[in-house]
Amino acid sequence: MLNRNAESLFWVGRYMERAENHARLIDVHYHLQSEADHSAADTEELQQRAAQRWIRIVDALGCRSIYEQRYSGYTENDVLYYVTHDREHANSLISCIQHARGNLRTLREKVPTEMWDAINTFYLWLRDKRQEELSGESPHQFYIRIKEWTALFLGISQSVMPRENEWYFIECGRYLERAENTLRIIQSAVGAGGAEEQSSYSYLQALLKSVSGYQVFRRYYADGVSVEAINEFLVLHPAFPRSVHFSLLEMHRHLSGIQFQDAQLKANHARMIRQAGRMIAELSCMEREDIGNGGEIVGELLEDCQELGVAFAKTFFRLGEASA
Amino acid sequence: MSTARKSQSYYYDAHSFFDEMFMPDMTVRAHYEPIHRQFSRLKASELSYRQQALEQRMLEEGITFTLYSPNQREPLERTIPFDYIPRVIPGAEWRMVEQGIKQRVRALNAFTCDIYHEQRIVADGLIPRRMIVGNTYFRPEMVGFDVPCNAYMTTSGIDLIRDERGQYYVLEDNLRSPSGFSYLYKGRTLMSELFHDLYFSCSVQNIEHSLNHFLRSLRSLAPSGKKDPLIVLLTPGSYNSAYYEHTFLAQQMGIHLVEGRDLVYRNHKIYLRDLRGLRQVDVIYRRIDDDYLDPLAFQPDSLLGVPGLMNAYRAGNVAIANAPGTGVADDKAVYAYVPDMIRYYLGEEPLLNNVPTYLLSRKEDRAFVLEHLSELVVKETSLSGGYGMLIGPAATAKELAAFREAIIAHPERYIAQTTMMLSRAPVMQCGAMAPRHIDLRAFALMGSDLHVIPGGLTRVAMKEGSLVVNSSQGGGVKDTWVLQDE
Repeated sequence: MLNRNAESLFWVGRYMERAENHARLIDVHYHLQSEADHSAADTEELQQRAAQRWIRIVDALGCRSIYEQRYSGYTENDVLYYVTHDREHANSLISCIQHARGNLRTLREKVPTEMWDAINTFYLWLRDKRQEELSGESPHQFYIRIKEWTALFLGISQSVMPRENEWYFIECGRYLERAENTLRIIQSAVGAGGAEEQSSYSYLQALLKSVSGYQVFRRYYADGVSVEAINEFLVLHPAFPRSVHFSLLEMHRHLSGIQFQDAQLKANHARMIRQAGRMIAELSCMEREDIGNGGEIVGELLEDCQELGVAFAKTFFRLGEASA
Repeated sequence: MSTARKSQSYYYDAHSFFDEMFMPDMTVRAHYEPIHRQFSRLKASELSYRQQALEQRMLEEGITFTLYSPNQREPLERTIPFDYIPRVIPGAEWRMVEQGIKQRVRALNAFTCDIYHEQRIVADGLIPRRMIVGNTYFRPEMVGFDVPCNAYMTTSGIDLIRDERGQYYVLEDNLRSPSGFSYLYKGRTLMSELFHDLYFSCSVQNIEHSLNHFLRSLRSLAPSGKKDPLIVLLTPGSYNSAYYEHTFLAQQMGIHLVEGRDLVYRNHKIYLRDLRGLRQVDVIYRRIDDDYLDPLAFQPDSLLGVPGLMNAYRAGNVAIANAPGTGVADDKAVYAYVPDMIRYYLGEEPLLNNVPTYLLSRKEDRAFVLEHLSELVVKETSLSGGYGMLIGPAATAKELAAFREAIIAHPERYIAQTTMMLSRAPVMQCGAMAPRHIDLRAFALMGSDLHVIPGGLTRVAMKEGSLVVNSSQGGGVKDTWVLQDE
C-alpha cells in the first residue's frame, strides 16, 4: 500500500466519524433550550439570548473565530448553513463528506465497491439538499438522516472489508477522531457560560445526548447527574463506546493490527503503539477527582491525541504535519 | 387582539364552552398568540409534511398501545392520536394548580396512612366505616404496616377539567400506578423536533428534570437508605397494552424491566435472576395491580406476580411503589370526601374544587339522582378508564333504564356527578382548527419529597362533541406547555 493511500484511508475514517459527531452535536444543541434563554427583560436581551443558542452550536464545533470572520451575526440561517453546507468551512458536514469521498475515490480499486457507492450516494444527497428544505421541514429529521448515512457506511465497511492494513487505517482514524471529539465536547462545556449554566440540568443532559450517552449514563449513575460524574463517564468509562478511554483502547488495538515489512517503519510503529499504550495506562489509573471539572486534564489529553495524529503523519505518511 | 389574519380555517365558534385558545369574542388569548400566529403562517404543504413525519415517527419508534378484542384474530396495535396544536398554560395559573395538586396528594397520602393505622377519620365520624371495609381496594395485609418514607402513592395522576368559566376541577384521582408518562415525554420530544419553530417561539418549562425526580423518589424508598439500590419496573409483559410505557420508563431511568418470573423470593427477600446470579432487589416500581402482585397473598392463580413478595415487603426488605392498597383512596365514592380530608389532615381549605358528587348510598342523594338521571353522569365506583359510565344527556332511554335498575339494586356501587362542560381546545383536522373537549392528567411524584411534573398529559376527545377522553375509548393527546413566568 502506498503511503498516500494509508493517509487517505486514515482520513476517510476521521471525516466520517467527524460528520457523525457533528450531526449529533448540532442536533442536540439545536434543540437545547436553556432555561435562561427566555428569562430576559427586554427584546434586545431576548435577541441576545436567542443568539446564545447559535453561538453554542458554533462553539461546540470549536470554530468561533472562523465564523466571526465571515458572518456578521449569529442567526439560525447563517449558523445552520455554516455547519452544514458551507464549503469554505473545513468542518462543515459537506466538507467532511466531500473530503471522505475524494479520498475514497483515489483508492476505489482497493476498497469494496459497496463502500464507494454508499459514500457517493451520501455526498450527492447532501449536495442537492437545499437549505430552505432543511429548516422548512425539520432540522431534526435532516440530522437523523445524516446519522443514518454514516451508519450505513460504517455497517457496510464492517461487513465487507477484509481485516488488513486498509481496514486498520480507517479504524485508527475513526477512533482517534472520536477520542478528540469527546474531549472537545467536554472542553466546550468547561468553557461555555458561567457555572450556573453548566450545572443546569438541561445543559448536562444535552452534553450526554450529544454523544448518545444519556441512557447508558443512567444505568451506571442513576440520578447522580453532575458535571464531575459526566466527565468521569465521558473520559474513563471502559465500556461506553464514545468515552475517551474506550476510543483509545480501540485505536490501540487497530494500530497494533497494522503489519509492516520495512524495519525502520516497524520501529516507528512500535514507538507509536507504546505512545498510545502510555495514554491508556494513565487513564486506567485516573479517578473522578483527577478529572474534576475537566479544565486541566482534558487539555492535556487533547494535546496527547494531537501528538498521536502528528506521529501518524510522520510515521506512515511522511508528509510532516497532519492536515486537518 | 390577535395580529394574525382572520383566515376562516383558524377560527370557530368559541361561545358555548370555555375555550383554551379563544375568548368568547374570538380574540386569541394572550398566552396562545405566538402559536396561533405560527399556525396561521404555516403553508398547507408544510403542515401535511409534518403531520406525516409525526405519524411516521410514532410508528417507527413503536409509540403504540394494544387493543384486544375477542372478535379479532390479531390484536390491534395502534398509535395514539396525537394532535400537534399544543395546550398552553400560563405560568401563574399553573402555580395555582400545582399547589392544589400537592395539597391534594398530601391529604390523600395522609388518609391512606390513617386508614391502615388508627383510622382516626372514621372514629371522628367524617367517613362511614362501611366505605372502608367494603372497599374492593382495601388490603387488610397493609394494616399496621409502615411504608418506606411514609409515601403510599409514589406516582399519582390527578385528572383535571375546566368548567365554562375556566375554573379548574379535579375529576378523578388515579393512585394505583397511573399511566401516561411516556405519551407526555414522547409528545414533547416530537413537538420540539418537528415543530421546532413553534417550540422555540414560546418559553416552555422543561420537563426533563422531572424524570430525575421520578428516579430519586424511587431511590428514596430503598430499605435502610441503601446508597445504590437495585430498582426494577415490574411489568405484566409485552402483551400488556401499556408495554411501550414500561420500556420507556425503564430505559429513561436506567432501571431493570422485569416480569414476575424474573424475580425470586428467598428468606424474606426478593432477588433478580440474571446472568450474574441472584441480586437482591430493593425497590419495585410495579405496573401490575394489587390483585396480581403475590399469588400467596392475593389472587392465587396469578402468574404475573412473585410468590412471597408480600412477605418480603412486610419484612421491610423491599419497597413497592405504589404501595399495595392505595386504591382505597382513589375509589370514586371516597373521592367525594377529599375536600373534607384536606381540612381534616392539613387544616387547609382545598385549593382545587371537587366536581359536585352524589353518593347513591345516601338516601336523599339517591332520590335526587333518580329524578335527574338524564342530566347527570353516573359512574361505577370501582371502575376506571371510561368503562361502566353513563353520560345522562347523551344516553338513550334504554341505557337510562338499565342504569336506573342497577342503581336501585346496588346503590353503593355508584356515584353521580353534575355533567361538567369540559373546556375545549382546537385540534387540527383537514387543515382547519376544530374545537374538541379536553382534560388534563397531571402527575405527582412522591418519595422523600413531592414533585409535580410541569403540565401533564392533555387528553382530547377526538370525536366532535364527545366528552370521553380515555385512550381506550378513542381519545387522543396533546403536548402541554407550561410557560415560564414573565
